[in-house]
Amino acid sequence: MILLLSAAIALLAACGVFLMLSRNLVRLVLGISLLSTAVNLLIFAMGRIGTTVPPLIPPGTQSLAPAAANPLPQALVLTAIVIGFALVAFLAALVLRLYGRFGTLDSREIDAAERLGDPFLEPPRPESPRPAPGRPAAGTPPAEAARHA
Amino acid sequence: MSIGLLLGLAVLGALLAAPVSHLTGRFCGWALGLLPATLFAGFLSMAGTVAGGEVIGVRLPWAPSLGIDLDFRLDGFSLLFALLITGIGALVVVYSGAYMAEKQPTTRARFLTLILLFMTAMLGAVLSDNLISLFVFWELTSLLSFLLIGFESHSPTARRSAIQSLLVTAGGGLALLAGILLIGATLGSFSLSEAAARSDEILASPWRTWIILFVLLGAFTKSAQYPFYFWLPNAMQAPTPASAYLHSATMVKLGIYLLARFELVLGDAALYREALVAVGSVTMLVAAIQALRATGFKAVLAYSTVASLGILVMLTGLDGEATVVATVGFILAHAFYKAALFFCAGTVIHATGEATLRKLGGVARFLPLTAAAAVLASLSMAGLPPFMGFISKEVLFEAQLASSWDAAPVVVAVLVNAVMVGIAGVVSLRPFFLNRHRTTTVKHGETPGLLFGPLVLALAGLVFSLWPEGVSQYVIAPAASAIRGEPVEVSFKLWHGLTPMLALSVLVIVVGGLILMLWQPIHAGLRGLKRLDRFSGDHGYEWGMRRLDELAEATARSLQHGDLRRYLATIFATVLLLAGLGLAMSGGLALTSQDRLRPEVLGLLIIGLAGGLTAARADSLLTGLVAVGLVGLCIALIFLLNGAPDLALTQFSVEALLVVLLTATLLRLPLEPGIARSEAERRRDGLLAAGFGLLVFLALQSVLSQPLDTRLSDYFAQASYPEAFGRNVVNVILVDFRAMDTFGETAVLGFAAITVWALLRPPAGQKEDGGGQGSSALVLRAMDRIFFVMLGVASLWILLRGHNEPGGGFIGGLVAALGFAIVALAKGVGAARRLLRLHPLGLAGAGLLFALLSGLPGLALHGAFLQHLWFSPVILGVEVKFGTTLFFDIGVYLVVLGSVLAFLFRLYREPAR
Repeated sequence: MILLLSAAIALLAACGVFLMLSRNLVRLVLGISLLSTAVNLLIFAMGRIGTTVPPLIPPGTQSLAPAAANPLPQALVLTAIVIGFALVAFLAALVLRLYGRFGTLDSREIDAAERLGDPFLEPPRPESPRPAPGRPAAGTPPAEAARHA
Repeated sequence: MSIGLLLGLAVLGALLAAPVSHLTGRFCGWALGLLPATLFAGFLSMAGTVAGGEVIGVRLPWAPSLGIDLDFRLDGFSLLFALLITGIGALVVVYSGAYMAEKQPTTRARFLTLILLFMTAMLGAVLSDNLISLFVFWELTSLLSFLLIGFESHSPTARRSAIQSLLVTAGGGLALLAGILLIGATLGSFSLSEAAARSDEILASPWRTWIILFVLLGAFTKSAQYPFYFWLPNAMQAPTPASAYLHSATMVKLGIYLLARFELVLGDAALYREALVAVGSVTMLVAAIQALRATGFKAVLAYSTVASLGILVMLTGLDGEATVVATVGFILAHAFYKAALFFCAGTVIHATGEATLRKLGGVARFLPLTAAAAVLASLSMAGLPPFMGFISKEVLFEAQLASSWDAAPVVVAVLVNAVMVGIAGVVSLRPFFLNRHRTTTVKHGETPGLLFGPLVLALAGLVFSLWPEGVSQYVIAPAASAIRGEPVEVSFKLWHGLTPMLALSVLVIVVGGLILMLWQPIHAGLRGLKRLDRFSGDHGYEWGMRRLDELAEATARSLQHGDLRRYLATIFATVLLLAGLGLAMSGGLALTSQDRLRPEVLGLLIIGLAGGLTAARADSLLTGLVAVGLVGLCIALIFLLNGAPDLALTQFSVEALLVVLLTATLLRLPLEPGIARSEAERRRDGLLAAGFGLLVFLALQSVLSQPLDTRLSDYFAQASYPEAFGRNVVNVILVDFRAMDTFGETAVLGFAAITVWALLRPPAGQKEDGGGQGSSALVLRAMDRIFFVMLGVASLWILLRGHNEPGGGFIGGLVAALGFAIVALAKGVGAARRLLRLHPLGLAGAGLLFALLSGLPGLALHGAFLQHLWFSPVILGVEVKFGTTLFFDIGVYLVVLGSVLAFLFRLYREPAR
């Protein structure tokens, strides 16, 4: 069973990655949702599964029954589910905002950060070097100096 | 007075410099000069004790577990530097006040603060016995030097020089750190005195060569040795008081200080002394030629400083007792005359506005006392009797002749000293006395503040040589003994008799006189040799910086292409490569053994997989969304079938909410797919995704084939009820054992809500509510209130019972949010908002505050934040257990509810179409 479960988790993760590599931003969001679901199940499976007894201490006893499920991965996964949900909601908001701003869902056309210009080709700001007292003999042209300044 | 007190005073004074300088206005130099003067007196009062061979120390623990302490000790050599730093520091502060008299009060305050901070850092460096703290202070001086060189921050040249000096000296400092760490690894201690005592262990270390190389690199960059000297002439962009202080008298000597200190540690290493002599000699020669070529007043002085530093490096390389005396004597003499000359140059440049040596002449008419100081200082620089420079030069030649080296260093020293004589003549005669027609007016005359420093230093050079016994006994001998590690006899006197040294001195002065007379043609001739520029390190620096820029440019162009898909593909491929490599190197790929097949789980897996594959292949986004939701539901059922009811409840609620939110999102986006990958791209992506899936499979299998470490789970299973009074172990872990983590996670949720709220803020003018009519389904419209109340009650019940039964704040919050979602679906988001009345972010904030406050009682009573307290009051005859965990869980509930509602209200707005 655990072998099959592993294979299923792996396939779900692969589906998530395949969706994430899409150019459509909505698919990207769906892919992230799918991948985080797969990862949650992965963490859950790592804590060993098979029992159906929940990690609840039965009334009248002081500690968990030996047959109970491992509580630690459950606690980890519980918050991970909620955080993953928040992430997807945040991404959905981001996609909406991007669509409002650029009018497209194609990730190729949304590259404003990279297109902001080439920092290396920008001319140095017109700034005349002031004659400072005691300039040394060794020096470089102002353009060079501004470039490294 | 203890040195700890003196250092504390220095720090305090530096921090108070700004207000004091504002209060004292034009007299700020004199007022603040009292601080270094007091420190000088304090150190001077210890001179007698130190001269007796005692070492004064104080140790302040810093990181004792790492062997790092602020371990200050004052021996003879440290005392020499401490006196120079505070003594010249006092003069520099007085001079700065006058030099910056017409500047803005804030500018003055900033400058004086930096100078006093530098003084403190410098004191820390020369008093540290711990190498790590030495390094920290060392880099602090580099940093303050950077700030002072770039003080005129509007000038691009100043900025470039500042960055250059920082890169060179701080870079060298990093090399020094590497050397220090290797020493620490060898000895298990960072103590300098211990390194000296156990030098044989360092020399036997396999890292010996690296240690030597790194220490030398640190010293050579700081003390401007060839080929790293270029930053020092460029550093003349700093205001002149800073040049006088940092770049002639103190900071640049830190490298010499280090080399002298390491004499006992590395002195016996093969080729160590040879390297010092060679580098020192080359530096001297290069700097002497550059000093003759330089045109600026300060540049000439800077190159002569580089030459002097070369002499000092060469001296530390020579063997014999006399070299130590020569080093100490020369440090002292040089600090006096060079700082004085910088002061004079600063006054001249400031008064005339002219920095080029050739354009100055006859300034003595306007600045007579400055001229007198310059002449006195240059006589010392030229090494003429009865000045201190004469004595130090005599000792220098004596050391050279006494060492085991042949004539080469002597020839270099004679030549370079002759150039120094010429330069001394040039800088004192030409601007002040010759060519009277060149300078006809000055902007201002001499003020007491401008004269005090140069006159004191110039006269000190004279007075000290007239009282050689005292200087030898209290300053030179203790310093030399500290370097050698054994008492050194010092005969520091003006007249040695007719010795070979005297003959060399005469030779130097004769050649120097010739250079002085022929300066004009020599200067013009050397300036004509443009090829010499290519050998200056400045060109190498430029070349290196350009290559660095190009490398950065090429890297950025190839990695930052702007295609999100390729970014993600790169990340996945890298993960695949590295994790795959790790998996392959860890050896055996193990598969888990077969266990019982569970048909119900298998069925769910098949449905879930069908959903995943459909989502991946679907053309329609809506189909994809439904398929992803299907996967989530199957996973929730799998949780339920494997003893995780809490997870199942969470996953169910999240899936329901996700479908609502994402459907709302999709309704506002174009639904036609349109944007598709090409067949080839899909194949490549499929391959990458399959590879990633395989990696996940192998990783999970290899984890599962290892035995499970259950220590933590067992602890929680045992401690949950007796210690935290909860039967639902998952909830107890969340709200009690890992409460701090949970607190952080809820905070993340809150941040996401704030971001979404801000991202989707409606444009100005539009109604904040969003409005909307809601669903036309009659059942929903009629029943929404009932659903809302039911879900609300259920959520509170889930919250309250969560400590003992499945449930808790997370699930409760999600369920409550579902109630609002139903109202929004039925009657529009406006109705849901009116129902809430509060701002959703306010709700989330209140939740965070609740969770925070629930941790405070534990902090107050047990000193542990979020350590929960329990009470058992008896209500109606029944004992009720009641703890602060409940408040924490209520906080979680509120954060989750508030955040999800923030998502809902923003994402779920009726589509405009």
